Amino acid sequence: MAPDKPINQQLLNRHRVVVPKKSNHMDQKPKPYMNPYLAGFLLGLVLLTAFFVTGRGLGASGSVKSVVVQTVGKVAPAYAIKNPFYASYFAEGDGRPMKNWLVYLTLGVLGGAFFSGFMSGRAGIKVDKGPRITTRTRLIMATAGGFLFGLGSQFGRGCTSGAALTGMATLSTAGFLTMIAIFGSGFVFAYFFRKLWIS
Amino acid sequence: MAPLIPQGFINPDLNLFFAFVIGLGFGYVLEQGGFSTSRKLAGVFYGYDFVVLRVFFTAAITAALGLLIFSYLGWIDYSMLYINPTFLWSAIVGGVIMGLGFILGGFCPGTSVVAAVIGKVDAMFFVVGMMLGIFAFGTFYKTFEPLYNGYDLGGIFVYDSLGMSRNLFVFLLVLIALTAFIVTRKIEDSVNKITTDTRFFHPSYTAPVALLLGITLLVVLLPDKPKAVWNEVSAGTILAEAAEGKHNINSDELAYKLLHAEDNDLLLVDVRDSEAFARFNLPGSVNMPLPGILQDNNLKILEKSGKKVVFYSNGTTAASQAWLFTRRAGLEDAGVLTGGLNDFFSAYFADSAVRRHDLNPEQAVFFTRFRERAGKAFREGGAGEVQGRSQAPVRTLVNIQPPPPGKGGC
Repeated sequence: MAPDKPINQQLLNRHRVVVPKKSNHMDQKPKPYMNPYLAGFLLGLVLLTAFFVTGRGLGASGSVKSVVVQTVGKVAPAYAIKNPFYASYFAEGDGRPMKNWLVYLTLGVLGGAFFSGFMSGRAGIKVDKGPRITTRTRLIMATAGGFLFGLGSQFGRGCTSGAALTGMATLSTAGFLTMIAIFGSGFVFAYFFRKLWIS
Repeated sequence: MAPLIPQGFINPDLNLFFAFVIGLGFGYVLEQGGFSTSRKLAGVFYGYDFVVLRVFFTAAITAALGLLIFSYLGWIDYSMLYINPTFLWSAIVGGVIMGLGFILGGFCPGTSVVAAVIGKVDAMFFVVGMMLGIFAFGTFYKTFEPLYNGYDLGGIFVYDSLGMSRNLFVFLLVLIALTAFIVTRKIEDSVNKITTDTRFFHPSYTAPVALLLGITLLVVLLPDKPKAVWNEVSAGTILAEAAEGKHNINSDELAYKLLHAEDNDLLLVDVRDSEAFARFNLPGSVNMPLPGILQDNNLKILEKSGKKVVFYSNGTTAASQAWLFTRRAGLEDAGVLTGGLNDFFSAYFADSAVRRHDLNPEQAVFFTRFRERAGKAFREGGAGEVQGRSQAPVRTLVNIQPPPPGKGGC
């Protein structure tokens, strides 16, 4: 039992439980999240718009890849030309990995997310973690998870957004395979790492 | 008309501007949906918060149905969309690695960016980790390459992989999603030890359920083929077929079929202009000049003929183009007369026989004999006016008499 489990804000909102006012700090409380079905519908419309305008879906890992490619190209240009993973950007491409659709998309994501978080009172330096681990553990695990996601997204030719979500929207086999692999294995691994997230 | 940029409705230079604007919406919705906290994201794996599943599934289905409806209405050309290619094992291995990353890190790339920008330190570490992971992939690229580029199945669709119709698949997908919404709500309540409204039609999902089911039924029941042809064959498939060339027939096969009416399962289509067609055409052929080949009635005739369609022109170019366009439009059984009429004439009306050194002697004799006999049949079989070769191809070949059974042939 965890006596200090934080109040799940979403549950409170969903069931319209009145939070007792301790003081008049109500205006500092973050606004509730959007109804998930509405959010999903809107996200679907964003994805549809992307297809309608540009013929392609969304993505996130691609822009991180661009940053890596750009960095490697600047730091070790000779190596970048030699390694086929980077070379395609410099030899055949225009040599400007940052002038890329996904990079600009991610710039937009940064803007949109900051606007949303700021307006809803959710912006602020913070670490989200499970109740049983220290901040240090959380940050190490976050880095490790990022590492794996970076690696896996290359094999999967995209991440949850680019491969799974976008791939499912176009009914591609790859999209469904990747989605099932991510969430299916996630449920298996979840058991072994439950200490990270639940009490 | 859409997609707008690939179709040239919008200047491609504005591509990056649109990327930014779409990104604004993407980021806003993700943050509003609650994707900026790893606790919520990880909740889906432990049953205390299924927000990821709800948003993710709803978005995927909304977009999938939207694309189908746009395609039906002719607003979007499905064949111009980017379909994620399926590299079987790479996709699965990548997915499993990402699954572990999700559990450890509590984010996926898009959500980590969203969380990092509003000050979540764990998300910032996640982003750094991602860069390291991609760098590691690049460093060991040569080791990973066989897996990465292996088992390339191309841009295949999941309903084809499962061997069901697209409409059935979409319908099942929506049913699965709706079931998941209801079941996960119950799991979530039991994990969080709260008893809520146990009615089946919980207000927070009646609206989306009704809407999704309605739209799905609409899509599934729409009778006609989409206006912007969904069934267009992918460029990769056509390229492979063209390279293989199996669909084409050569002059000898054509001659044999012309002489053996009982074996003639060909619909010969002359793609030259009507003037050239009037001067000369192959027996039984129809004229569909290349510029109008894609007209609806032409396509209907070709599709409903029940025969193998063979395009011909003087050479091969126009016929190949006709094949390419009609194949792209979904015509299944079609081919090209290799070498065109010119090759046909030189094979059967040439003064000297061609010697085939690539065949064994016996076959070569049969080959020469067949050509001689067929040529004779074509020349003498009726009103064939044989004129000087210089004036070819102004000849008429009607009333071709097949040679006596059992004698001709190869």
